Amino acid sequence: MPPILAAEHVSKTFQVGRDEPLLAVRNLSLQVEEGEFVCLLGASGCGKTTVLNMFAGFTQPTQGRVLLRDRPITGIEPRCGVVFQSYALFHWKTVQGNVEFGLRMQGVARAERRRRAAHFIELVKLGGFERRYPAELSGGMQQRVTLARILAADPEVLLMDEPFAALDAMTRQVMQEELLRIQESSGKTVLFITHSIDEALILADRIVVMSALPGQVKAILPNRLPRPRHVSVQLSAEYARLKAEVWKEVGFEVRPADALPRSPDRR
Amino acid sequence: MASSAAHGAVAPPRTGRPTGRPTGRRPGRRAPLALLLKCGSVGVFLLAWYAATRSGWISPVFLPSPGDVLAQATALLRSGDLLNAVLVSSGRVFAGFALAGLVAVPLGIVMAVWWPARAIMDPFVSLLRPLPSITWIPLTILWLGIGESQKVAIVFLGSWIYVLFYTLASVRRVDPILIRAARNLGASDFAVMTQVILPASLPGIIAGLKITLAISWSCVLSAEMIAAQTGLGALIWQGKDWGDLATVLVGMVGISITVLVADGLAERLERLLLPWERHRRP
Ligand SMILES: Nc1ncnc2c1ncn2[C@@H]1O[C@H](COP(=O)(O)OP(=O)(O)OP(=O)(O)O)[C@@H](O)[C@H]1O
Ligand SMILES: [Mg+2]
Repeated sequence: MPPILAAEHVSKTFQVGRDEPLLAVRNLSLQVEEGEFVCLLGASGCGKTTVLNMFAGFTQPTQGRVLLRDRPITGIEPRCGVVFQSYALFHWKTVQGNVEFGLRMQGVARAERRRRAAHFIELVKLGGFERRYPAELSGGMQQRVTLARILAADPEVLLMDEPFAALDAMTRQVMQEELLRIQESSGKTVLFITHSIDEALILADRIVVMSALPGQVKAILPNRLPRPRHVSVQLSAEYARLKAEVWKEVGFEVRPADALPRSPDRR
Repeated sequence: MASSAAHGAVAPPRTGRPTGRPTGRRPGRRAPLALLLKCGSVGVFLLAWYAATRSGWISPVFLPSPGDVLAQATALLRSGDLLNAVLVSSGRVFAGFALAGLVAVPLGIVMAVWWPARAIMDPFVSLLRPLPSITWIPLTILWLGIGESQKVAIVFLGSWIYVLFYTLASVRRVDPILIRAARNLGASDFAVMTQVILPASLPGIIAGLKITLAISWSCVLSAEMIAAQTGLGALIWQGKDWGDLATVLVGMVGISITVLVADGLAERLERLLLPWERHRRP
Protein backbone atom coordinates (compact mmCIF):
# COMPACT_ATOMS: atom_id res chain seq x y z
CA MET A 1 0.00 0.00 0.00
CA PRO A 2 1.33 3.50 -0.76
CA PRO A 3 2.01 5.85 2.15
CA ILE A 4 -0.94 8.07 3.01
CA LEU A 5 1.24 11.19 3.03
CA ALA A 6 4.41 11.69 1.08
CA ALA A 7 6.79 14.55 0.34
CA GLU A 8 9.14 13.95 -2.57
CA HIS A 9 12.24 16.12 -2.79
CA VAL A 10 10.34 19.13 -1.60
CA SER A 11 11.90 22.58 -1.47
CA LYS A 12 10.21 25.81 -0.52
CA THR A 13 11.53 29.29 -1.14
CA PHE A 14 9.93 32.45 0.21
CA GLN A 15 10.28 35.76 -1.52
CA VAL A 16 9.37 38.73 0.62
CA GLY A 17 9.53 42.07 -1.15
CA ARG A 18 13.01 42.68 -2.46
CA ASP A 19 14.77 40.64 0.18
CA GLU A 20 17.00 37.78 -0.78
CA PRO A 21 14.82 34.74 -1.43
CA LEU A 22 14.72 32.59 1.70
CA LEU A 23 15.14 28.85 1.32
CA ALA A 24 12.97 27.52 4.15
CA VAL A 25 12.87 23.81 3.23
CA ARG A 26 15.48 22.00 1.14
CA ASN A 27 15.05 18.69 -0.62
CA LEU A 28 12.86 17.13 2.03
CA SER A 29 11.47 13.65 1.50
CA LEU A 30 9.18 11.99 3.98
CA GLN A 31 6.61 9.22 3.98
CA VAL A 32 3.89 8.68 6.53
CA GLU A 33 2.11 5.33 6.59
CA GLU A 34 -1.59 5.01 7.26
CA GLY A 35 -2.30 4.92 11.00
CA GLU A 36 1.17 6.10 11.85
CA PHE A 37 2.02 8.76 14.42
CA VAL A 38 4.95 10.83 13.19
CA CYS A 39 6.53 13.65 15.14
CA LEU A 40 8.41 16.39 13.38
CA LEU A 41 11.04 17.65 15.77
CA GLY A 42 13.10 20.74 15.13
CA ALA A 43 14.28 24.10 16.38
CA SER A 44 12.22 27.24 16.06
CA GLY A 45 12.24 28.64 12.54
CA CYS A 46 13.57 25.47 10.91
CA GLY A 47 10.60 25.07 8.57
CA LYS A 48 8.24 22.72 10.39
CA THR A 49 5.13 24.83 9.89
CA THR A 50 6.10 25.33 6.26
CA VAL A 51 6.16 21.56 5.72
CA LEU A 52 2.80 21.17 7.43
CA ASN A 53 1.31 24.00 5.35
CA MET A 54 2.27 22.14 2.20
CA PHE A 55 0.61 18.93 3.41
CA ALA A 56 -2.53 20.94 4.20
CA GLY A 57 -2.45 22.49 0.73
CA PHE A 58 -2.12 26.03 2.07
CA THR A 59 1.09 26.56 0.09
CA GLN A 60 2.64 24.70 -2.79
CA PRO A 61 6.25 23.52 -2.84
CA THR A 62 8.63 25.48 -5.03
CA GLN A 63 10.16 22.17 -6.11
CA GLY A 64 9.09 18.57 -5.67
CA ARG A 65 5.63 17.28 -4.79
CA VAL A 66 3.48 16.49 -1.79
CA LEU A 67 1.05 13.59 -2.13
CA LEU A 68 -2.02 12.37 -0.31
CA ARG A 69 -2.70 8.73 -1.15
CA ASP A 70 -0.51 9.08 -4.22
CA ARG A 71 -2.36 12.14 -5.52
CA PRO A 72 -0.66 15.55 -5.58
CA ILE A 73 -2.08 18.02 -3.08
CA THR A 74 -2.91 21.11 -5.10
CA GLY A 75 -5.52 22.91 -3.03
CA ILE A 76 -6.66 23.14 0.56
CA GLU A 77 -7.32 19.60 1.66
CA PRO A 78 -10.12 18.99 4.20
CA ARG A 79 -9.02 15.38 4.60
CA CYS A 80 -5.92 16.71 6.38
CA GLY A 81 -7.31 18.57 9.39
CA VAL A 82 -4.99 21.19 10.83
CA VAL A 83 -4.45 22.35 14.40
CA PHE A 84 -2.92 25.77 13.87
CA GLN A 85 0.02 26.98 15.89
CA SER A 86 -1.73 30.34 16.17
CA TYR A 87 -5.14 28.73 16.90
CA ALA A 88 -7.05 30.49 14.09
CA LEU A 89 -10.28 30.38 16.06
CA PHE A 90 -13.36 32.08 14.68
CA HIS A 91 -13.54 34.86 17.26
CA TRP A 92 -17.13 35.72 16.35
CA LYS A 93 -18.31 32.25 17.22
CA THR A 94 -18.69 30.75 20.64
CA VAL A 95 -16.70 27.70 21.75
CA GLN A 96 -19.69 25.63 20.71
CA GLY A 97 -19.90 27.35 17.32
CA ASN A 98 -16.21 26.79 16.69
CA VAL A 99 -16.27 23.12 17.62
CA GLU A 100 -19.40 22.52 15.55
CA PHE A 101 -18.05 24.29 12.50
CA GLY A 102 -16.60 21.32 10.65
CA LEU A 103 -19.68 19.21 11.31
CA ARG A 104 -21.86 22.02 10.06
CA MET A 105 -19.85 22.21 6.85
CA GLN A 106 -20.33 18.47 6.46
CA GLY A 107 -24.08 18.97 6.73
CA VAL A 108 -24.51 17.11 10.01
CA ALA A 109 -27.91 17.78 11.56
CA ARG A 110 -28.12 20.19 14.45
CA ALA A 111 -28.92 17.74 17.26
CA GLU A 112 -26.15 15.39 16.22
CA ARG A 113 -23.77 18.35 15.96
CA ARG A 114 -24.63 19.40 19.48
CA ARG A 115 -24.04 15.91 20.77
CA ARG A 116 -20.67 15.44 19.13
CA ALA A 117 -19.47 18.94 19.96
CA ALA A 118 -20.43 18.42 23.59
CA HIS A 119 -18.38 15.21 23.64
CA PHE A 120 -15.22 16.89 22.40
CA ILE A 121 -15.68 20.01 24.52
CA GLU A 122 -15.86 17.70 27.50
CA LEU A 123 -12.81 15.82 26.27
CA VAL A 124 -10.67 18.96 26.26
CA LYS A 125 -12.03 19.86 29.69
CA LEU A 126 -13.97 22.92 28.59
CA GLY A 127 -17.39 21.87 29.84
CA GLY A 128 -19.28 24.95 31.02
CA PHE A 129 -17.51 27.27 28.57
CA GLU A 130 -19.63 26.37 25.53
CA ARG A 131 -21.16 29.81 25.23
CA ARG A 132 -18.01 31.83 25.79
CA TYR A 133 -16.25 33.59 22.96
CA PRO A 134 -12.54 32.82 22.30
CA ALA A 135 -11.46 36.29 23.49
CA GLU A 136 -12.93 35.41 26.87
CA LEU A 137 -10.72 32.34 27.29
CA SER A 138 -7.10 31.94 28.34
CA GLY A 139 -4.47 31.05 25.73
CA GLY A 140 -4.33 27.42 26.80
CA MET A 141 -8.11 27.18 26.73
CA GLN A 142 -8.18 28.60 23.21
CA GLN A 143 -5.63 26.03 22.15
CA ARG A 144 -7.86 23.27 23.50
CA VAL A 145 -10.80 24.68 21.52
CA THR A 146 -8.80 24.32 18.29
CA LEU A 147 -8.07 20.76 19.29
CA ALA A 148 -11.74 20.00 19.91
CA ARG A 149 -12.68 21.73 16.67
CA ILE A 150 -10.48 19.48 14.57
CA LEU A 151 -11.27 16.28 16.48
CA ALA A 152 -15.00 16.93 16.03
CA ALA A 153 -14.53 17.39 12.30
CA ASP A 154 -12.90 13.96 12.24
CA PRO A 155 -10.53 14.24 9.25
CA GLU A 156 -8.54 11.27 7.96
CA VAL A 157 -5.19 12.82 8.82
CA LEU A 158 -4.40 15.12 11.72
CA LEU A 159 -1.75 17.77 11.07
CA MET A 160 -0.96 19.24 14.46
CA ASP A 161 1.32 22.25 14.85
CA GLU A 162 2.58 22.35 18.43
CA PRO A 163 -0.95 21.85 19.70
CA PHE A 164 0.01 21.63 23.37
CA ALA A 165 2.62 24.38 23.46
CA ALA A 166 0.53 26.82 25.50
CA LEU A 167 -0.61 24.30 28.10
CA ASP A 168 0.75 23.85 31.60
CA ALA A 169 2.64 20.61 32.24
CA MET A 170 -0.28 18.83 33.86
CA THR A 171 -2.93 19.78 31.33
CA ARG A 172 -0.52 18.90 28.57
CA GLN A 173 -0.05 15.44 30.02
CA VAL A 174 -3.81 14.92 30.15
CA MET A 175 -4.15 16.08 26.55
CA GLN A 176 -1.32 13.82 25.42
CA GLU A 177 -3.06 10.86 27.02
CA GLU A 178 -6.32 11.74 25.30
CA LEU A 179 -4.60 12.09 21.96
CA LEU A 180 -2.85 8.75 22.39
CA ARG A 181 -6.15 7.10 23.28
CA ILE A 182 -7.95 8.66 20.30
CA GLN A 183 -5.18 7.83 17.88
CA GLU A 184 -4.77 4.26 19.07
CA SER A 185 -8.50 3.52 19.02
CA SER A 186 -9.26 5.27 15.70
CA GLY A 187 -6.04 4.38 13.90
CA LYS A 188 -5.78 7.92 12.57
CA THR A 189 -2.65 9.14 10.89
CA VAL A 190 -1.02 11.99 12.77
CA LEU A 191 1.75 14.35 11.76
CA PHE A 192 2.63 16.19 14.91
CA ILE A 193 5.02 19.13 15.18
CA THR A 194 6.83 19.70 18.42
CA HIS A 195 10.07 21.07 19.74
CA SER A 196 9.88 18.86 22.82
CA ILE A 197 11.85 15.62 22.76
CA ASP A 198 9.77 14.23 25.59
CA GLU A 199 6.55 14.92 23.75
CA ALA A 200 7.91 13.25 20.62
CA LEU A 201 8.99 10.20 22.60
CA ILE A 202 5.67 9.86 24.39
CA LEU A 203 3.56 10.16 21.25
CA ALA A 204 5.40 9.10 18.12
CA ASP A 205 5.94 5.89 16.20
CA ARG A 206 8.69 7.68 14.33
CA ILE A 207 10.56 10.87 15.09
CA VAL A 208 11.71 12.99 12.18
CA VAL A 209 14.48 15.33 13.28
CA MET A 210 14.82 18.43 11.15
CA SER A 211 18.00 20.45 10.86
CA ALA A 212 18.03 24.22 11.20
CA LEU A 213 17.27 26.48 8.26
CA PRO A 214 16.93 25.42 5.49
CA GLY A 215 14.79 22.63 6.88
CA GLN A 216 16.01 19.18 5.92
CA VAL A 217 15.48 15.74 7.34
CA LYS A 218 18.46 15.17 9.57
CA ALA A 219 17.46 11.79 10.97
CA ILE A 220 14.45 9.51 11.23
CA LEU A 221 14.32 7.55 14.47
CA PRO A 222 11.82 4.76 15.07
CA ASN A 223 10.31 4.86 18.55
CA ARG A 224 9.99 1.28 19.81
CA LEU A 225 8.28 2.09 23.08
CA PRO A 226 5.35 -0.30 23.48
CA ARG A 227 1.73 0.51 22.58
CA PRO A 228 -0.85 1.15 23.85
CA ARG A 229 1.23 3.85 25.39
CA HIS A 230 0.76 5.98 28.43
CA VAL A 231 2.58 9.08 29.61
CA SER A 232 4.07 7.00 32.43
CA VAL A 233 6.31 5.47 29.76
CA GLN A 234 8.69 8.30 30.64
CA LEU A 235 9.75 6.38 33.72
CA SER A 236 11.07 3.36 31.82
CA ALA A 237 14.75 2.66 31.20
CA GLU A 238 14.10 2.20 27.49
CA TYR A 239 12.71 5.74 27.40
CA ALA A 240 15.88 7.17 28.90
CA ARG A 241 17.99 5.28 26.41
CA LEU A 242 15.92 6.51 23.48
CA LYS A 243 15.99 10.04 24.75
CA ALA A 244 19.78 9.97 24.77
CA GLU A 245 19.68 8.70 21.21
CA VAL A 246 17.43 11.53 20.07
CA TRP A 247 19.56 14.03 21.90
CA LYS A 248 22.57 12.92 19.96
CA GLU A 249 20.77 13.75 16.71
CA VAL A 250 19.16 16.94 17.89
CA GLY A 251 22.28 18.09 19.68
CA PHE A 252 22.91 21.67 18.83
CA GLU A 253 19.85 21.92 16.58
CA VAL A 254 17.41 22.20 19.46
CA ARG A 255 18.02 23.90 22.75
CA PRO A 256 16.32 22.29 25.74
CA ALA A 257 13.27 24.48 25.39
CA ASP A 258 11.07 21.59 26.43
CA ALA A 259 8.92 23.05 29.13
CA LEU A 260 8.71 26.61 27.87
CA PRO A 261 5.12 27.50 27.13
CA ARG A 262 5.02 29.60 23.99
CA SER A 263 2.56 32.07 22.75
CA PRO A 264 1.37 31.79 19.16
CA ASP A 265 3.91 33.39 16.88
CA ARG A 266 3.68 34.50 13.28
CA ARG A 267 0.47 33.33 11.71
CA MET B 1 -13.08 54.17 24.50
CA ALA B 2 -11.97 57.45 22.98
CA SER B 3 -11.26 58.89 26.38
CA SER B 4 -9.14 55.95 27.47
CA ALA B 5 -7.17 56.08 24.23
CA ALA B 6 -6.58 59.78 24.67
CA HIS B 7 -5.56 59.13 28.23
CA GLY B 8 -2.94 56.66 27.12
CA ALA B 9 -1.68 59.03 24.48
CA VAL B 10 -1.17 62.03 26.69
CA ALA B 11 0.17 60.18 29.71
CA PRO B 12 3.69 61.48 30.27
CA PRO B 13 6.49 58.92 30.19
CA ARG B 14 7.20 57.76 33.70
CA THR B 15 10.85 58.13 34.34
CA GLY B 16 10.96 58.82 38.08
CA ARG B 17 10.06 56.44 40.84
CA PRO B 18 6.51 55.13 40.76
CA THR B 19 4.13 57.38 42.63
CA GLY B 20 1.63 54.63 43.24
CA ARG B 21 -1.21 56.76 41.99
CA PRO B 22 -3.98 54.97 40.17
CA THR B 23 -3.88 55.81 36.48
CA GLY B 24 -7.45 55.80 35.36
CA ARG B 25 -8.01 52.42 36.91
CA ARG B 26 -10.94 53.33 39.08
CA PRO B 27 -13.74 54.71 36.95
CA GLY B 28 -16.15 53.73 39.70
CA ARG B 29 -14.77 56.31 42.09
CA ARG B 30 -14.30 58.90 39.44
CA ALA B 31 -17.75 58.82 37.94
CA PRO B 32 -19.49 61.08 40.48
CA LEU B 33 -16.66 63.61 40.36
CA ALA B 34 -16.69 63.56 36.57
CA LEU B 35 -20.43 64.19 36.55
CA LEU B 36 -19.97 67.09 38.91
CA LEU B 37 -17.29 68.59 36.67
CA LYS B 38 -19.47 68.19 33.59
CA CYS B 39 -22.44 69.90 35.23
CA GLY B 40 -20.10 72.57 36.59
CA SER B 41 -18.57 73.36 33.22
CA VAL B 42 -21.96 73.60 31.54
CA GLY B 43 -23.24 75.76 34.39
CA VAL B 44 -20.29 78.13 34.17
CA PHE B 45 -20.70 78.36 30.40
CA LEU B 46 -24.41 79.18 30.63
CA LEU B 47 -23.75 81.71 33.35
CA ALA B 48 -21.07 83.45 31.30
CA TRP B 49 -23.38 83.47 28.31
CA TYR B 50 -26.18 84.91 30.41
CA ALA B 51 -23.92 87.54 31.94
CA ALA B 52 -22.47 88.54 28.59
CA THR B 53 -25.86 89.06 26.96
CA ARG B 54 -27.59 90.48 30.03
CA SER B 55 -24.93 93.13 30.63
CA GLY B 56 -25.21 94.26 27.04
CA TRP B 57 -21.58 93.35 26.43
CA ILE B 58 -22.74 91.30 23.46
CA SER B 59 -25.64 92.71 21.47
CA PRO B 60 -28.66 90.40 20.97
CA VAL B 61 -28.19 90.98 17.26
CA PHE B 62 -25.11 88.82 17.46
CA LEU B 63 -26.03 86.46 20.25
CA PRO B 64 -29.42 86.01 21.89
CA SER B 65 -29.55 85.27 25.61
CA PRO B 66 -30.04 81.72 26.93
CA GLY B 67 -33.51 82.75 28.06
CA ASP B 68 -34.48 83.84 24.53
CA VAL B 69 -33.20 80.58 23.10
CA LEU B 70 -35.12 78.57 25.69
CA ALA B 71 -38.29 80.57 25.00
CA GLN B 72 -37.91 80.06 21.27
CA ALA B 73 -37.25 76.36 21.76
CA THR B 74 -40.43 76.04 23.82
CA ALA B 75 -42.42 77.92 21.21
CA LEU B 76 -41.08 75.78 18.36
CA LEU B 77 -41.75 72.61 20.35
CA ARG B 78 -45.30 73.73 21.14
CA SER B 79 -46.07 74.54 17.53
CA GLY B 80 -44.58 71.21 16.47
CA ASP B 81 -42.22 72.93 14.02
CA LEU B 82 -39.08 71.68 15.73
CA LEU B 83 -40.21 68.07 15.94
CA ASN B 84 -41.37 68.23 12.37
CA ALA B 85 -38.00 69.57 11.21
CA VAL B 86 -36.18 66.84 13.14
CA LEU B 87 -38.39 64.13 11.67
CA VAL B 88 -38.13 65.43 8.12
CA SER B 89 -34.34 65.70 8.26
CA SER B 90 -33.99 62.32 9.97
CA GLY B 91 -36.15 60.73 7.31
CA ARG B 92 -33.97 62.14 4.53
CA VAL B 93 -30.79 61.07 6.30
CA PHE B 94 -32.12 57.63 6.92
CA ALA B 95 -33.28 57.10 3.35
CA GLY B 96 -30.02 58.32 1.79
CA PHE B 97 -27.88 56.52 4.33
CA ALA B 98 -29.74 53.24 3.97
CA LEU B 99 -29.46 53.47 0.21
CA ALA B 100 -25.74 54.14 0.51
CA GLY B 101 -25.36 51.10 2.77
CA LEU B 102 -27.41 48.88 0.48
CA VAL B 103 -25.32 49.84 -2.54
CA ALA B 104 -21.86 50.30 -1.09
CA VAL B 105 -21.58 47.40 1.36
CA PRO B 106 -22.19 44.70 -1.27
CA LEU B 107 -20.11 46.61 -3.80
CA GLY B 108 -17.25 46.95 -1.34
CA ILE B 109 -17.35 43.23 -0.57
CA VAL B 110 -17.32 42.31 -4.24
CA MET B 111 -14.46 44.72 -4.90
CA ALA B 112 -12.52 43.28 -1.99
CA VAL B 113 -12.78 39.65 -3.03
CA TRP B 114 -12.74 39.99 -6.81
CA TRP B 115 -9.97 42.06 -8.31
CA PRO B 116 -11.58 42.81 -11.71
CA ALA B 117 -14.38 44.61 -9.87
CA ARG B 118 -11.71 46.61 -8.10
CA ALA B 119 -10.05 47.50 -11.37
CA ILE B 120 -13.34 48.50 -13.02
CA MET B 121 -14.48 50.68 -10.15
CA ASP B 122 -11.17 52.19 -9.21
CA PRO B 123 -11.09 55.15 -11.67
CA PHE B 124 -14.62 56.24 -10.76
CA VAL B 125 -14.03 55.88 -7.07
CA SER B 126 -10.82 57.90 -7.28
CA LEU B 127 -12.52 60.71 -9.20
CA LEU B 128 -15.70 60.81 -7.13
CA ARG B 129 -14.06 60.60 -3.74
CA PRO B 130 -12.71 64.16 -3.53
CA LEU B 131 -16.09 65.71 -4.40
CA PRO B 132 -17.93 67.13 -1.37
CA SER B 133 -21.67 66.48 -1.41
CA ILE B 134 -22.54 70.13 -2.02
CA THR B 135 -20.91 70.02 -5.44
CA TRP B 136 -23.72 67.67 -6.43
CA ILE B 137 -26.42 70.18 -5.55
CA PRO B 138 -26.66 71.93 -8.94
CA LEU B 139 -26.88 68.70 -10.90
CA THR B 140 -29.29 67.00 -8.56
CA ILE B 141 -31.60 70.02 -8.59
CA LEU B 142 -31.54 69.97 -12.35
CA TRP B 143 -32.34 66.26 -12.45
CA LEU B 144 -34.64 65.86 -9.49
CA GLY B 145 -36.01 69.31 -8.64
CA ILE B 146 -35.93 70.43 -5.03
CA GLY B 147 -38.16 67.75 -3.56
CA GLU B 148 -37.43 64.91 -1.21
CA SER B 149 -35.66 62.78 -3.78
CA GLN B 150 -33.06 65.48 -4.32
CA LYS B 151 -32.24 65.62 -0.59
CA VAL B 152 -32.01 61.85 -0.42
CA ALA B 153 -29.79 61.88 -3.49
CA ILE B 154 -27.43 64.39 -1.88
CA VAL B 155 -27.17 62.27 1.24
CA PHE B 156 -26.56 59.17 -0.85
CA LEU B 157 -23.97 60.81 -3.07
CA GLY B 158 -22.11 62.23 -0.11
CA SER B 159 -22.13 59.00 1.88
CA TRP B 160 -21.79 55.92 -0.25
CA ILE B 161 -18.12 56.31 -0.99
CA TYR B 162 -17.20 56.25 2.70
CA VAL B 163 -19.21 53.11 3.25
CA LEU B 164 -17.43 51.62 0.26
CA PHE B 165 -13.98 52.47 1.58
CA TYR B 166 -14.61 51.12 5.04
CA THR B 167 -16.17 47.94 3.69
CA LEU B 168 -13.37 47.38 1.22
CA ALA B 169 -10.70 47.92 3.85
CA SER B 170 -12.40 45.71 6.45
CA VAL B 171 -12.92 42.81 4.09
CA ARG B 172 -9.39 42.98 2.78
CA ARG B 173 -8.04 42.96 6.32
CA VAL B 174 -9.71 39.66 7.22
CA ASP B 175 -6.93 37.36 8.41
CA PRO B 176 -6.27 34.84 5.62
CA ILE B 177 -5.51 32.15 8.17
CA LEU B 178 -9.17 32.21 9.20
CA ILE B 179 -10.22 31.55 5.63
CA ARG B 180 -7.70 28.72 5.44
CA ALA B 181 -9.03 27.28 8.67
CA ALA B 182 -12.58 27.37 7.36
CA ARG B 183 -11.65 25.71 4.08
CA ASN B 184 -9.62 23.14 5.95
CA LEU B 185 -12.80 22.33 7.85
CA GLY B 186 -14.62 21.82 4.57
CA ALA B 187 -16.25 25.22 4.00
CA SER B 188 -17.52 26.02 0.49
CA ASP B 189 -17.00 29.43 -1.14
CA PHE B 190 -20.45 30.45 0.03
CA ALA B 191 -19.78 29.32 3.59
CA VAL B 192 -16.44 31.13 3.62
CA MET B 193 -18.28 34.29 2.63
CA THR B 194 -21.18 34.03 5.07
CA GLN B 195 -19.45 32.31 7.97
CA VAL B 196 -16.03 33.93 7.86
CA ILE B 197 -15.56 36.99 5.67
CA LEU B 198 -18.79 38.73 6.62
CA PRO B 199 -18.62 38.25 10.38
CA ALA B 200 -14.89 38.91 10.49
CA SER B 201 -15.27 42.22 8.67
CA LEU B 202 -18.53 43.25 10.31
CA PRO B 203 -16.95 45.30 13.12
CA GLY B 204 -15.03 47.37 10.57
CA ILE B 205 -18.08 47.79 8.34
CA ILE B 206 -20.18 48.92 11.28
CA ALA B 207 -17.49 51.37 12.40
CA GLY B 208 -17.53 52.80 8.88
CA LEU B 209 -21.32 53.06 8.89
CA LYS B 210 -21.23 54.95 12.18
CA ILE B 211 -18.76 57.49 10.82
CA THR B 212 -20.76 57.77 7.62
CA LEU B 213 -23.94 58.46 9.56
CA ALA B 214 -22.41 61.70 10.86
CA ILE B 215 -21.32 62.57 7.32
CA SER B 216 -24.86 61.91 6.06
CA TRP B 217 -26.14 64.44 8.55
CA SER B 218 -23.83 67.14 7.31
CA CYS B 219 -24.93 66.34 3.75
CA VAL B 220 -28.62 66.76 4.50
CA LEU B 221 -28.05 70.02 6.35
CA SER B 222 -26.12 71.60 3.52
CA ALA B 223 -28.79 70.47 1.06
CA GLU B 224 -31.55 71.88 3.24
CA MET B 225 -29.81 75.21 3.65
CA ILE B 226 -29.52 75.69 -0.06
CA ALA B 227 -32.90 74.55 -1.30
CA ALA B 228 -35.58 73.40 1.09
CA GLN B 229 -38.68 74.61 2.93
CA THR B 230 -38.53 71.97 5.64
CA GLY B 231 -36.00 70.26 7.85
CA LEU B 232 -33.48 71.44 10.42
CA GLY B 233 -31.22 73.03 7.82
CA ALA B 234 -34.12 75.04 6.42
CA LEU B 235 -35.19 76.06 9.91
CA ILE B 236 -31.74 77.46 10.60
CA TRP B 237 -31.52 79.21 7.27
CA GLN B 238 -34.95 80.80 7.64
CA GLY B 239 -33.99 81.96 11.14
CA LYS B 240 -30.94 83.63 9.63
CA ASP B 241 -32.98 85.27 6.87
CA TRP B 242 -35.41 86.76 9.40
CA GLY B 243 -32.63 87.84 11.75
CA ASP B 244 -34.03 85.39 14.30
CA LEU B 245 -30.86 84.08 15.89
CA ALA B 246 -32.71 82.27 18.64
CA THR B 247 -34.20 79.97 16.03
CA VAL B 248 -30.77 79.43 14.50
CA LEU B 249 -29.42 78.35 17.87
CA VAL B 250 -32.42 76.14 18.59
CA GLY B 251 -31.85 74.47 15.23
CA MET B 252 -28.19 73.91 16.00
CA VAL B 253 -28.92 72.39 19.38
CA GLY B 254 -31.63 70.33 17.71
CA ILE B 255 -29.07 68.91 15.29
CA SER B 256 -26.65 68.05 18.08
CA ILE B 257 -29.27 66.25 20.10
CA THR B 258 -30.70 64.40 17.12
CA VAL B 259 -27.28 63.18 16.02
CA LEU B 260 -26.46 62.15 19.60
CA VAL B 261 -29.66 60.14 19.79
CA ALA B 262 -28.91 58.54 16.42
CA ASP B 263 -25.41 57.64 17.64
CA GLY B 264 -26.88 56.10 20.77
CA LEU B 265 -29.22 53.97 18.67
CA ALA B 266 -26.35 52.93 16.42
CA GLU B 267 -24.35 51.95 19.49
CA ARG B 268 -27.22 49.77 20.71
CA LEU B 269 -27.51 48.11 17.35
CA GLU B 270 -23.78 47.48 17.29
CA ARG B 271 -23.90 45.71 20.64
CA LEU B 272 -26.68 43.55 19.33
CA LEU B 273 -24.83 42.66 16.13
CA LEU B 274 -21.39 42.12 17.64
CA PRO B 275 -21.88 40.04 20.78
CA TRP B 276 -18.34 38.68 20.53
CA GLU B 277 -16.89 42.13 21.15
CA ARG B 278 -18.55 42.31 24.55
CA HIS B 279 -15.26 41.76 26.38
CA ARG B 280 -14.01 45.10 25.05
CA ARG B 281 -16.89 47.02 26.49
CA PRO B 282 -17.10 48.31 30.03
N1 LIG C 1 4.77 33.20 4.48
C1 LIG C 1 6.09 33.35 4.66
N2 LIG C 1 6.74 34.32 4.02
C2 LIG C 1 8.07 34.49 4.18
N3 LIG C 1 8.83 33.72 4.95
C3 LIG C 1 8.24 32.72 5.62
C4 LIG C 1 6.85 32.49 5.52
N4 LIG C 1 6.53 31.44 6.29
C5 LIG C 1 7.68 31.04 6.85
N5 LIG C 1 8.72 31.80 6.45
C6 LIG C 1 10.12 31.63 6.85
O1 LIG C 1 10.43 30.27 6.75
C7 LIG C 1 11.23 29.83 7.84
C8 LIG C 1 10.58 28.65 8.52
O2 LIG C 1 9.38 29.07 9.12
P1 LIG C 1 8.39 28.07 9.84
O3 LIG C 1 7.20 28.82 10.26
O4 LIG C 1 8.15 26.90 8.96
O5 LIG C 1 9.25 27.61 11.10
P2 LIG C 1 8.86 26.60 12.27
O6 LIG C 1 9.82 25.47 12.21
O7 LIG C 1 7.44 26.27 12.24
O8 LIG C 1 9.22 27.46 13.57
P3 LIG C 1 8.48 27.52 14.99
O9 LIG C 1 8.90 26.32 15.76
O10 LIG C 1 9.04 28.76 15.59
O11 LIG C 1 7.03 27.57 14.73
C9 LIG C 1 11.39 31.06 8.74
O12 LIG C 1 12.67 31.59 8.53
C10 LIG C 1 10.34 32.02 8.28
O13 LIG C 1 10.82 33.33 8.39
MG1 LIG D 1 5.85 26.77 13.40
